Amino acid sequence: MSKEDPGKEPSWKADFPIESKRATHVSRREFAKFLGLLSGAFALSNGFIVIKAMAFPSEKLEGEHFVANAAEVPVGEMVQFEISGEKTIPYILIHLEENEWRAFEQKCTHLTCAVRYRKTENKIECPCHNGWFSADTGEVLQGPPPRPLPQLDVVVKEGKVYVRERERENV
Amino acid sequence: MSNFRRSQNEAHPNKTNTILTGIILLQILFVSMQIWLLFGALNNALEENFGFALTTFIGSLIMAIASIWLLKYLPEPIRKDGPKKPQVTASNQPKN
Repeated sequence: MSKEDPGKEPSWKADFPIESKRATHVSRREFAKFLGLLSGAFALSNGFIVIKAMAFPSEKLEGEHFVANAAEVPVGEMVQFEISGEKTIPYILIHLEENEWRAFEQKCTHLTCAVRYRKTENKIECPCHNGWFSADTGEVLQGPPPRPLPQLDVVVKEGKVYVRERERENV
Repeated sequence: MSNFRRSQNEAHPNKTNTILTGIILLQILFVSMQIWLLFGALNNALEENFGFALTTFIGSLIMAIASIWLLKYLPEPIRKDGPKKPQVTASNQPKN
């Protein structure tokens, strides 16, 4: 093996004649191209939302589901229950007043924390980020949640409480 | 051979800078609006608002096409080892 001349450029440098400064440098042209690519990616993800909404529409809850006996839930109390289907969704059943029942999805519309009914305030609270919902309608009263809580209709038949898909109002 | 583009570039060296800045600013504007639309679409799609999701997709697509189309106007990189301008010397002058 011949000795390398210390003053001479090593062979590997001659084989890859790219300075490290050039290799790490991002020119404005490259940045503009990256922005174009990013823009395309955003359009694609927006398209994905449309495709998902078209191909997999959210399934309606079919029929009535038994939750509890009315006598077991005193006024001002809350019962947690789940409905299994394609996905298992947790709900809460609230006995607001005599013959006044409400059922809401338990997942907060902000970051899906579990919400709970507060009897003293007569409101639904999300303890994670201090979000508050109306116990009557599920509307957002305060805090970061962007949408009201999804609601189910409650039917009481012969002392038994059932829930079913909410019939759209004003349609 | 000299052409119009080369003459322009040499007469206005700052123009490349201005065009690049303009393109990048426009693209940042488009991308920001797309983020806004995507956020709205996600929120509305969850509320089963299909019309909104479709409208934002069309808007986002137009902006993506626009920001990719803008790349067409990216100035060519300046080559250091490009052809040199011919120098006019006395010997090149036409003879009388």
